[in-house]
Amino acid sequence: MARLAAPSLARGMGSCIRSARWTLAAWALMMSCSLMAQANTKLKVLVGGQHRPEVIRELLGEYSQLNPGVVATLDVGGATSELLQRYLNTVLSARDNSIDVFLIDIVRPAQFAAAKWAEPLDSHLGAGREARLAQLLPRYREANTINGKLQSLPAFADAMFLYYRTDLLDKHGLAPPATWPELAATARRVLDAEKDPNLQGLSFQGRAIEGAVCTFLLPYWSLGGDIVKDGKFSFDRPKAAAGLAMWQRMVADGISKPNVAEVGTDDTRKEFQAGRVLFGVVWGYAWNLFQTAKDSKVSGKVGVIRLPSMENGEPVSCMGGWNWAVSAYSRHKAEAAKLAIWLSSPEVSKKLALRASLQPVYADVFRDPEVIKAVPWFADALAVVETARPRPVTPMYRPVSDALRINLNAVLAGARTPDQALNEIEHRIARALRP
Amino acid sequence: MPQPTNRSLVDRLSDPSERTLAIWLLAPAFTFITLIVVYPVLVLAWNSLQDARLLTGQPARFSGLENYVFLINDAQFWRAAKNTLIIVAVTVPGALVVGLGLAMLANTAMRWKGPVRLALLLPWAMPLAFVGLIFAWFFHSDYGIVNDVLKRLGLAPVIWSASASLTLAAVCLATIWKTSSFMALILLAGLQTIPRSLYEAAEVDGASKWTQFTQITLPLLVPSMLVALIFRTLTAIQSFDIPYSMPGPGEDTQTLAMYIHMNAVDYLDLGYSSALAVVMFGISMLTTWVYMRHIRREGGT
Amino acid sequence: MNSLVSGLSNGPMLRAMAALIVLVNGCFPALWILATAFKSEVELTAKPITYWPTNPSWDNFVTAFRDQPLPVYLFNSVVVALGSMLLSLFLSALAAYAIARLNLRRRGLILACIVAVSMFPLVTLMVPLFEIMRSLSLLNSYWALILPYTVLNLPICTLVLVSFFQEIPRDLENAAMIDGCTRLGALWRVVVPLSAPGLFTAGILAFVNAWDEFLLALSFNSATAWRTLPVGIQMYQGEFSFPWPTISAALVIAMVPVVIVILIFQERVVGGLTSGGIKG
Repeated sequence: MARLAAPSLARGMGSCIRSARWTLAAWALMMSCSLMAQANTKLKVLVGGQHRPEVIRELLGEYSQLNPGVVATLDVGGATSELLQRYLNTVLSARDNSIDVFLIDIVRPAQFAAAKWAEPLDSHLGAGREARLAQLLPRYREANTINGKLQSLPAFADAMFLYYRTDLLDKHGLAPPATWPELAATARRVLDAEKDPNLQGLSFQGRAIEGAVCTFLLPYWSLGGDIVKDGKFSFDRPKAAAGLAMWQRMVADGISKPNVAEVGTDDTRKEFQAGRVLFGVVWGYAWNLFQTAKDSKVSGKVGVIRLPSMENGEPVSCMGGWNWAVSAYSRHKAEAAKLAIWLSSPEVSKKLALRASLQPVYADVFRDPEVIKAVPWFADALAVVETARPRPVTPMYRPVSDALRINLNAVLAGARTPDQALNEIEHRIARALRP
Repeated sequence: MPQPTNRSLVDRLSDPSERTLAIWLLAPAFTFITLIVVYPVLVLAWNSLQDARLLTGQPARFSGLENYVFLINDAQFWRAAKNTLIIVAVTVPGALVVGLGLAMLANTAMRWKGPVRLALLLPWAMPLAFVGLIFAWFFHSDYGIVNDVLKRLGLAPVIWSASASLTLAAVCLATIWKTSSFMALILLAGLQTIPRSLYEAAEVDGASKWTQFTQITLPLLVPSMLVALIFRTLTAIQSFDIPYSMPGPGEDTQTLAMYIHMNAVDYLDLGYSSALAVVMFGISMLTTWVYMRHIRREGGT
Repeated sequence: MNSLVSGLSNGPMLRAMAALIVLVNGCFPALWILATAFKSEVELTAKPITYWPTNPSWDNFVTAFRDQPLPVYLFNSVVVALGSMLLSLFLSALAAYAIARLNLRRRGLILACIVAVSMFPLVTLMVPLFEIMRSLSLLNSYWALILPYTVLNLPICTLVLVSFFQEIPRDLENAAMIDGCTRLGALWRVVVPLSAPGLFTAGILAFVNAWDEFLLALSFNSATAWRTLPVGIQMYQGEFSFPWPTISAALVIAMVPVVIVILIFQERVVGGLTSGGIKG
């Protein structure tokens, strides 16, 4: 009996199994379909208010179209470097995973490396790593690589430039200066000739903002000084004193206005734009406004060159810019890294240059004909950006920055003598960089 | 011992179950206090003995009194302490005097109780941070109303934010403006409880208004003043919101609270900021103790 | 001096002047900000400055809403203030009842302990709380603020409620208990409803305190979605500039809820402040 039942049982089981197999397959297909529908990876990107969020949003939209399954949304933080950093401080020190990709200031990679807040991108670049890094401007490549690991990839570059009034210099037959003393002499001649009480010879940042760190460092670097050498504090006091003295002389000789300690970055820009400044030391964003702002009185009369050097010194500029980093606590590191790599690619760099006049980190993009047509001054800018120097590279950048800018401001405001200021700088930076 | 079956009300009140009830009623509040105040203070003391700097990525290391040693030699700490002391010394008596003046003015204008009370409540209701922003705007060197008034009076405009002392003066002014209203409210209530009969009796005795003020008004206001003063002083020691919103040159107008905040949130130096906080805690406790002794000597509230 | 002091208490003219001084002192900054909120940026930088806006426009308000998510900040402030107010009221009602009604031997000490909380410098607590919130991953959340605010408001709420509870005649409770209520039952059915004004007052004080708080909100909740109003207003500060007209507009918007609250509840607020303040 069992022998008779066995074949029919087997046949029955066979058909059972076959239909089960079909059911299983159908079920698996349905599950994977629904899983794929839910498999949209959501990435959160953080930028500051000053980073043209509307342009970044467009780019993120384009990325989502190129990479279906990934949805990137934008969060906008404070509009200053400090506010944005404070936000990141609270989020990352709490190991929060709510942000995947964020912009960090050019001075931060060291801090992120030490605190292990950024996911190193070397492995994510894979085989294309060397090729990509070779395309970058060398200084930017260095700035993002800490202890051999790539902490972030550059988003856009920046440097400090010397803007000058071509019309005023031409009128008096003068050439743009190459050293600070030359600048003072040139400015003196123009000021004497123009006899305009509202015209300033030189406008630079004296207020205790991040830009003041550059103000301190420009002459110091020019003379060959350094702040952090091989991870240790190295302070050349005579050179620092010479730098401070140079700025003080500008004020004393009437080239710069007496309350220069109040002047912030945008103040210089606004006053230059209103036609009240002969030489201005400002970042790259000013150019666009000088040329295209409705109330600009200097449109078509602006020249841009690299900053002067100290007598017998090297010409230097202060390096700026922002970089894309991936959070070490992100739940989608691979996807986030892919997004960061795309955002820092030459193609996107070109888009940022065309849409927001943000300087690229690729020499090729600087020389791209389309870009030059849209932003003609980039041709001159490349030379400056290539030689711009990074501010002290250390995880403790914040206290170092505070020490330098507070004291520069105090000296210019007359609240402290250069000696006192230099003492405090040494003391504070030594403390910040203690092992 | 057998309990009586019909217990009087008094027995009920001192029943052990009352004590249990008391514990249950007080437990929630004290649990929160332990969690949010007592435990953190202990953590604070412990952290102050560590070298814990989140930015370096190194683990915390026990460093004993290193942080305190540095603190004593830290010029920035002493500057912040000095700024805080100035603010306390100016705004506490200042708020009292201005508050007393406002209270007396309000007392005579009680016909318009509503608007007067509103005018005293509005500053109290405004967040300190907003008050700081508003007064920073008032004292702006180019577009502020203070300089405008000076110019109209023929005086030279002053660059308030370029000088530490001027900025501190502005900060004190803003603080006094905000806190004097609160003082005024308390003093006003106190003024209104003083019976007219006292003044009338003094008039009959031929006392001048000034004598009435010093012999009747002030002494009777002392209880309300003292409590308000303690809280005003402790708050002044912790000044943060207004000096933060009204920055002066560099860090010259930084208060202790601002310095602690900078070390904790910007520098992520947990060890040193804890040491600073312990010091501030000590200063607050000392101040409270001084006040308490004074109150006890004066005969209490 | 004599005549000045005597003059101050007589004369309708001088009464009016006294009222005017108090009014101007209290309302002037708010009115100035209100005027600024309607001015344009260009007008602001004109010299000499104008007092009254020449072309009042709502532009700044539009910009204020556009540049920062003010509704989000408003919502966060409301949630945090309400949450901590309710929690604080609950905890302090229980504690105040124990102190006011139960015959505890050390009630003075207990009350003093609670009041002592307000003597702890906030910034002192901020540092360890930051560390605790950080390790509990509570930074950038509502609890990060509600928990500390609750404790910060305990002293004032308890003080106010103790004085209100003490004024309710014991007989009412005893009557309820004779009718079969337990102590707690008497608390919820008799004492609390009768002291509703006190609860109200304590509630408003707690609400306004929480609304105003800046230091903890700045340190714990700096993420956009979690910011409260005082912190959010700071965000208008640009990389290079301080847009005063926009900030003024934002300040006006931020002040409206609180102004409405104190307009409606003036009496209670003043009553609460003075009873809590005087009775120490």
